[in-house]
Amino acid sequence: MTANNFKKILVPLDGSTYSEKALKRACELVEAFDSKLLLLYVVEKSIPINLLDRKEYLEILRKFGNKTLQKANVVASQKNISSKLLLKEGNIVNEIEKVAKKEKCDLIIVGSKGLGSVTRLLLGSISNKISQSSSCSVLIVK
Amino acid sequence: MAIKTKKILVPLDGSKNSLRGLDMAIHLARQSQGTITALAVKTVPGIYAIHPLGFLDFNSMKEIKKLLADAKLRAAKKGIQLTGKAIAGDPGYDIARFANNSKNRIDMVVVGARGRSSAKEIFLGSVSNYVLHKSKKPVLVVK
Repeated sequence: MTANNFKKILVPLDGSTYSEKALKRACELVEAFDSKLLLLYVVEKSIPINLLDRKEYLEILRKFGNKTLQKANVVASQKNISSKLLLKEGNIVNEIEKVAKKEKCDLIIVGSKGLGSVTRLLLGSISNKISQSSSCSVLIVK
Repeated sequence: MAIKTKKILVPLDGSKNSLRGLDMAIHLARQSQGTITALAVKTVPGIYAIHPLGFLDFNSMKEIKKLLADAKLRAAKKGIQLTGKAIAGDPGYDIARFANNSKNRIDMVVVGARGRSSAKEIFLGSVSNYVLHKSKKPVLVVK
């Protein structure tokens, strides 16, 4: 068995309390395994938005994404963990997978639910898709 | 507040994937000085689960005992304490129930991405998927 399995940990964020929980858990694992932390926010582009407001809407999302990443970075640096911040645009699941592949991540940590309220009871749609189709291990934080 | 993973639940079914899950659990347990609970579920068709004689299928019970003994050996080699547990019933449902039971004090569930059933499936196995959805504890899916 190799000495360290989790060299790189990817945490996709969406600003919800569940993703904060996932981040906390990730910090703990980073401390234990001495691994690198990657924080990712994906601006969703695939949803059909009103054409006129599109630019403005994306701008707002981008701002929100940056804010979320900065907040997460502060949380991580309080525990003396340096993290790499990434902001991507496109389909959420696709982007997360692309990043995981490109950066050769060993573990993805996601909250069990996101901001969507429809699937409150069950697993969130994004978490579900990630767990089904990602090529590396996934930790679902409840 | 630090979240400690003291007790890790590993459902086993004898497949290669579940063994990978076990290896990962051992690795995690070594980091946090935790213990592992291995759970082997013998599949019983619904109707027999209620019937008292449904449990008395000694042959496959032997298989499960062997599975748990192997797991114990594997963990002991790495210096991790492992307690085995054998249950008869529906795998997904019973694993989720075992994990959610507060008496067992499970901190994390580690499952292989696929098990014995639906070998052709490219995606997540049905049992792993069920546990993922129904368990109230964090779940680690090992690919």
